[in-house]
Amino acid sequence: MKALKKLSGHAILVLACIAALFPVYWTVLSSLKTRIDLFAQPPTFWVSQITWDNYAQVLADPEFIRAAIVTIIVTLASTALATLAGALAAYGLVRRGRFGGRGTFDGVLILIRALPGIVIAVPLYKIVVDLGMYDNPGTLIVVYAAINLPFAVWLMTGFVQGIPYELEEAARVDGAGQVGVLVRVVLPLIAPGLAATTIFVALMTWNEFLIPLVLADRQAKTLPVYVGGFVTSRVINWGAMAAAASIAIVPIAILTTLVQRNLVRGLSSGAIKD
Amino acid sequence: MSSPLTPPAPGRVLTAASRAEAHPPTRRRRQPLSVHATYLLPAWLLIAAVVVVPLALSAWMSLGNETMLRSGRFIGLGNYTNVLTGDFWPALGITLVFSLAAVFVQVPIGLALAMVLNRELRGTQLYRSVLLLPMLLTPVAVGLMWRLMLNADTGVINGVATMMGIPGLNWLGDRTLAVVSVVLVDAWQNIPFVMLLSLAGLQSLPDAPLEAASVDGATRWQSFWYITIPMLTPVLGVVVMIRIIESIKLFDIIYILTQGGPGTATQNLSLLNYRVGFSFMNTSQAAALGIIICVVLIPVFWLQKKVNEQ
Repeated sequence: MKALKKLSGHAILVLACIAALFPVYWTVLSSLKTRIDLFAQPPTFWVSQITWDNYAQVLADPEFIRAAIVTIIVTLASTALATLAGALAAYGLVRRGRFGGRGTFDGVLILIRALPGIVIAVPLYKIVVDLGMYDNPGTLIVVYAAINLPFAVWLMTGFVQGIPYELEEAARVDGAGQVGVLVRVVLPLIAPGLAATTIFVALMTWNEFLIPLVLADRQAKTLPVYVGGFVTSRVINWGAMAAAASIAIVPIAILTTLVQRNLVRGLSSGAIKD
Repeated sequence: MSSPLTPPAPGRVLTAASRAEAHPPTRRRRQPLSVHATYLLPAWLLIAAVVVVPLALSAWMSLGNETMLRSGRFIGLGNYTNVLTGDFWPALGITLVFSLAAVFVQVPIGLALAMVLNRELRGTQLYRSVLLLPMLLTPVAVGLMWRLMLNADTGVINGVATMMGIPGLNWLGDRTLAVVSVVLVDAWQNIPFVMLLSLAGLQSLPDAPLEAASVDGATRWQSFWYITIPMLTPVLGVVVMIRIIESIKLFDIIYILTQGGPGTATQNLSLLNYRVGFSFMNTSQAAALGIIICVVLIPVFWLQKKVNEQ
């Protein structure tokens, strides 16, 4: 009976794993298929003749290269900005307790979190065009940072609360200034929190689609918009599309698997406190 | 603070308040308020530039007749009546459908998987890593993957169906099936998130009540229903809230899979607002719709606030 239970547990998990993996497998497989294999009916679940043509096509596209560079720069800068602003705000909120304007701040964070991005994107488009900042990576950096701010603040709040106030006071008694306290006492203690927040915000920034779709055109086009462009063209180039999708998912899949421990801790600490 | 079931963390903000009470106020106020306000300054600047000013502008724009091609003049509430007599209601309806589907499909499956993972069978670490994958992928890429597979003529799903002698379905071209497809893809991507948080919740539960129940002869089902679920409620509340919010915001997957179609079958509020603003280029009407969306979502903001304060 016990063995049967175990077996059924494994069966459920294996089935779920297949469901989780198959679409990824199929996309990568499709990207390696020749045109004829791609449309073969019945479908073939293995590729007998690998072709790299689809990848060559995508990688040779200067627009793809630019999108990749823009996405990397924007992700790094925006993640740094959101994490820094979020960590500082979290520290201020925790140490100030509930005095002065925190209700408003919390309310705005909830608004950003729950409001569909398109609602802000419509007026933002007008502002950005009027200011001559349309299609500019700098614009994306600032906008993404604001959108991801609630996550950064919420995640960091938990970590800041973990620092005993007595430690800071002790440092002050020993003659440290506020900056000294922040750098030498607070920073080392919240480093794991910063790591988890950075990873999480970076992932969301990398994936952002609506904002660059609306606020950028050619110069600041990001990878998700580039990849998404494959379905809006009149004739879909399925092979290249599968290659582009694979390029978009495989590095992230590898990276996030490597840092999964941090990611899981960050996400879970969002809902549970040990 | 050290009890295993302290409130969820968007709710942490609140524990901050309770912490403030734990410390005598004199000690906390030793630093002037102005110093603490500066910590919030970068965040406030970002928020003002990207959210507050644009929303205010949106409210103003919604009263004019501006399009993307020409500036407008003040016309009053005309845009609001236009929006409310147009595609707004069907879009609100389908938004609701996606939201309900997200909660009632994703939460039971995610929780069930978490329960199985929580049995700590051999290889649980590996299972968990694999099962988390979908939630980490770019939603746009997820949309493309499924578009490839759901294609009526060349997709693998209909291909397999045909192999087994079942006629293929027009997944993205049929009004009902398109809705089903969006629900399916959203579930595929987000069940892992529900699973992850539920698992973390299960692992944080104390063993004693369950042991006591089993000593008293409770069946597994009774233990689950009367002990595990009630103890897990705070975590499940957070999960449900996040899934409701995210499903209301759903845009990327729909844009890639169906672009709101066929017709307007999968056009939720986000897609409608995008279409009005950027396909029809009716800026003022899009702004009015945005303001209406803000108003419609007030219960959601309120709920999120309650969850935060829980």
